Amino acid sequence: MNSRTSQLEADQTIDLRLDNPDDGSGSATQDSAAREPSQPAARRRKMTLTTRVSAVLTFALFAVAILAPIVAPYEPDIGDRSQRLLPLFSGSHVLGTDGQGRDILSRIIWGARPSLLAGVVPVLVAALVGTALGLVAGRGSRRVHSVIMRVLDVFYAFPAVLLAIAIAAALGSGISNAIVALSFILIPPVARVAEAEVSRVRSTDFMEAAAVSGAGWWSISIRHVLPNVAPAIVVYCTALVGLSIVYAAGLGFLGLGIAPPTAEWGLMVNDLRQYTFSQPGIAVVPAVVITIASLLFNLLGDGLRDWLDIRSEAQ
Amino acid sequence: MTRFLLRRLALTIPILIGVSIVMFITIKITPGDPVASLLGPTGSPEARVALTEKLGLDRPLIVQYAKWFGNILQGDAGISIARQTGALGLVWDAMQNTLVLAGFAAILAMVVGVTIGLTAAVYPDSVLARVVSGFSLFAISVPQYSLALISIVYLAANLGWFPTGGMNDPSGEGGLGDLLHHLWLPGIASALVPLGIIARMVRSAMIDALNEDYIEALRSRGLPRSTVTRHAFHNAIPGILTIAGLQAGYLLGGVVFVETVFSWPGMGLLIFQSISQRDLPVIQAGVLLSALAFVLINLVVDTIQASIDPRLRR
Repeated sequence: MNSRTSQLEADQTIDLRLDNPDDGSGSATQDSAAREPSQPAARRRKMTLTTRVSAVLTFALFAVAILAPIVAPYEPDIGDRSQRLLPLFSGSHVLGTDGQGRDILSRIIWGARPSLLAGVVPVLVAALVGTALGLVAGRGSRRVHSVIMRVLDVFYAFPAVLLAIAIAAALGSGISNAIVALSFILIPPVARVAEAEVSRVRSTDFMEAAAVSGAGWWSISIRHVLPNVAPAIVVYCTALVGLSIVYAAGLGFLGLGIAPPTAEWGLMVNDLRQYTFSQPGIAVVPAVVITIASLLFNLLGDGLRDWLDIRSEAQ
Repeated sequence: MTRFLLRRLALTIPILIGVSIVMFITIKITPGDPVASLLGPTGSPEARVALTEKLGLDRPLIVQYAKWFGNILQGDAGISIARQTGALGLVWDAMQNTLVLAGFAAILAMVVGVTIGLTAAVYPDSVLARVVSGFSLFAISVPQYSLALISIVYLAANLGWFPTGGMNDPSGEGGLGDLLHHLWLPGIASALVPLGIIARMVRSAMIDALNEDYIEALRSRGLPRSTVTRHAFHNAIPGILTIAGLQAGYLLGGVVFVETVFSWPGMGLLIFQSISQRDLPVIQAGVLLSALAFVLINLVVDTIQASIDPRLRR
């Protein structure tokens, strides 16, 4: 039993690179399938410095959000009227103060909580639901497959942001409604990636071996398909967090997220926008922070993809 | 080609029906009782029943949907709460300004993106090639509202090169030149991300095409680099067009932010204003019309592709 499992795992490790175009033609793929099981791992590239740095910074971002009460120098919602609209790097207010004299750095730090929450949770929901849909579509009958994929096509007919706005506006503003809206628009792309990955795995020899040896639908899905499709989905979802943060802040910007005076990055963009001409420095701070956060996740996703050597057709 | 068009049109119909169902659902998920909000707290039970019947809310959902869909086909998507006129008409007027902006941004993104991507593919060791890979990652990360704000601060406020907002000079006698002057900043803010994605896509499609055997054959016959590049580009066009078509959705969604920052009097600004006024019919009409525009754009892109590439006409 044990040896059989390890044999299948070896197959799966090789399989990770089956559709990698770098491997060249189909005959080269045949060759790689015949290689020693240890070789693919050895061929795995080294993680680049950029990827490592972005991983560390991403953790730091979450740490700052969690430790906001300790890290933030000032109260985020209490301002000092006499200290209104201080420019960048003014004394103890490194990022200046807003129209109510609130410390912008503290608001960015506290704002990381709802902003990251609304960025990450929809991706988690979409990853779960999307993978399930992709699994059912990729392994189901042709009819099930076409029903699921055609329904997903309908969601692709909408510009994603606008569909999120329509859902969030209908449900009413609030962070939980924003999360629901974002989850909906992120499910179709994840499901497509998952479906493409499942279809790729479906035609492999080890799947046939598992089916022939009498494994059931669930057992095959959980033990053989999921481990094979998971890396690509995880990588895709990592990059998707970047997009989700941008969308979440966008909904906040439009007034569809958390309500003021709570600090949230998108809300801050819209609030500080009125000082574009009087204090251009502070006006762009939250916009730059959102860009950096999004960039971090995209860098991390890109780096992970290169490191794990994944290339999915659906991406 | 006619057969392709007919089949492609037939595929569009279920999508449009699906779009209308999704929009109908977003109307139905709105919390609160529409009858109660229309009647106010003083409404009698009889009035409630009467209004429910008048609005058709006592009918099965499928009947309600059919009625709503019929109204949409007749150009009636409800009355704007804030402006008390037909929502679809409001959105339709604003949509024309949006299409000016989005069209300008699309041309900008295509022309500059393809040029940069081609250069990066043909000269893979150049600085530009490295910038393209780095830049495109930045481009997919940066939100339009960030770009819009940053460009307004540095190009309009600090340098004074461009107007900071609006679509025309208040005097109204600027003509096309004035419109173009107002278009640059929101145009760049909208176009930058699609531009980056297109450049990246063109580069990788071209690198794939340049690695084909027939390109090697052309090179071995001593054809000049420009001719070889042209042959490869022809084969890279379908992939590039697909990506470019998808960017239309991004542009149509992004205008909400760009138009808001630049006070561009289009559909995006209208949606932004309608959110704070809780004017749901306008938001819904706007999203519906954008989805329709997006579906049509993709239809056009597919048709262009099929007319270029006979293999797609199967």
